[in-house]
Amino acid sequence: MAADSIIKIKNVAFTYQDTKKPAIDHISFEIKRGTWTSIIGHNGSGKSTIIRLINGLLVPDNPDEASIEVDGEKLTDDSVWDIRNKVGIVFQNPDNQFVGATVADDVAFGLENRGVPREKMLKIVPEAINAVGMTDYTDSEPASLSGGQKQRVAIAGIIAIKPQIIILDEATSMLDPEGRNKILQIVHRMKQEYDLTVISITHDIDEASLADQVIVMNDGKLIEQGTSSEIFSQTELLKKLGLDVPFFEQIKDELLEQGINIPDTVNSEKELINFLCQLNLSK
Amino acid sequence: MSKILIGRYVPGNSLVYKMDPRGKLLATIFFILIIFLANNPLTYAIVTIFSFIAVAATRLRPKVFWDGVKPLVWLIFFTSLLQLFFTVGGKVYWQWTIFAVTSYGIENAIYIFIRFTVIILISTVMTVTTMPLEIADAMEWLLTPLKLIKVPVDKIALVMSIALRFVPTLFDETVKIMNAQRSRGADFNNGGLITRAKAITPLLIPLFINSLETAVDLSTAMESRGYRDDNGRTRYRILRWSKFDLLDLGYFAILIALLLIFRTH
Repeated sequence: MAADSIIKIKNVAFTYQDTKKPAIDHISFEIKRGTWTSIIGHNGSGKSTIIRLINGLLVPDNPDEASIEVDGEKLTDDSVWDIRNKVGIVFQNPDNQFVGATVADDVAFGLENRGVPREKMLKIVPEAINAVGMTDYTDSEPASLSGGQKQRVAIAGIIAIKPQIIILDEATSMLDPEGRNKILQIVHRMKQEYDLTVISITHDIDEASLADQVIVMNDGKLIEQGTSSEIFSQTELLKKLGLDVPFFEQIKDELLEQGINIPDTVNSEKELINFLCQLNLSK
Repeated sequence: MSKILIGRYVPGNSLVYKMDPRGKLLATIFFILIIFLANNPLTYAIVTIFSFIAVAATRLRPKVFWDGVKPLVWLIFFTSLLQLFFTVGGKVYWQWTIFAVTSYGIENAIYIFIRFTVIILISTVMTVTTMPLEIADAMEWLLTPLKLIKVPVDKIALVMSIALRFVPTLFDETVKIMNAQRSRGADFNNGGLITRAKAITPLLIPLFINSLETAVDLSTAMESRGYRDDNGRTRYRILRWSKFDLLDLGYFAILIALLLIFRTH
């Protein structure tokens, strides 16, 4: 895994029209190639805004001082289409991003936009549909699909354009637990297979705790950036920001309060279970 | 509720289904035009027979076609009756003030009746055997010449296809909002016209706001998926002519020929 940064964001600020308060307040961070990064924060903390800045859907307030670099390419008016070839976003609402009349049409949409010849599309589209396990639904209309299936189609549409980065913008928040797990599984597999960098914006703390790196945002500012265990062990901070704490961290906290000494090396549910079992044995 | 059915498409696999939507659309339009060539009993009989053969070729239950005609039954009867009572000329059978039943009147009433019915039958043949999306594609093809005068045909086609795709989504949304309002005591089914119209307002406003939100979301998604405002797009779905299309087009060409030969000059 190359350790270079695929996304470099420097000093970016953004304010929505008709509001005074900036949605993004001079943020800088980097994301390493091939990692899974979760961005967490409560509603209105600027999570979705920052990713819309990354692929040029929004333009920073301070274009002269700010800089956004994706895969070594600086985001400008000229490079924005190039960068959109490198970044695929799965949005929150499954229905509102399904453009095509059928699954195959929708997967082809991104290819059509890029002027890919039809003969190539005929090869790429079924492959992408197969990659997300939707082959049986190739000619289905969106109305006959579940939310999770629509999100799988959205992923197929992104895989079809062979991006470097896939961004999940609360892509699982409207799904049932089963649909959510399926989507995460698929993204994990895609990440391996296509060597992708994943950024996932999420409210689901258990989803976030699976990430290599977690970014915490609040009121347009980057509060904390670190590995998931670094972030989630700061339960006080998370609570202060109105965020959930992963279940095992809650248990760990409670146990510590009860006077049970849990070493710092315990950083996941599994490790905690192991530790507790051993504790039981040693008594 | 069958939410997948937009329009009146009925799945099937007879010959008519294998025909290209462009051919079917053209044939339907031609049919509606050439029906005016018929002007005597023989030509009307030919038109009727041809229409019923087309209906039979779909191999669908007659009820499908009856459903097509049903909403217009009163219009057909009313127009026929007007023809019957107000056409003057020929032999007078019955007269009362301004109403008269004449031989011309009877003839015209029958013609109008046939004309209406077969036009509905033939357009039903097209709409039940062709998916709305295919019809939209066919219409795009028909509009292609307008590109010469800078009409953005591609964009119109994309708009049409997105509109069709969102019909069931909006329908679902409507049902959801309706149930939400019902659970709060809204009543959509009782009261006079004005009461009902008022009851619709709390349904329309959320629906309207939702559609705007959907439109904003969709445009963001489209942009992020690389949709740009120029003509470099390629097409995944294309229409292909096949030998089956000679059938419907040939069929209607024969009809034109017969009508031209047998009409009263």
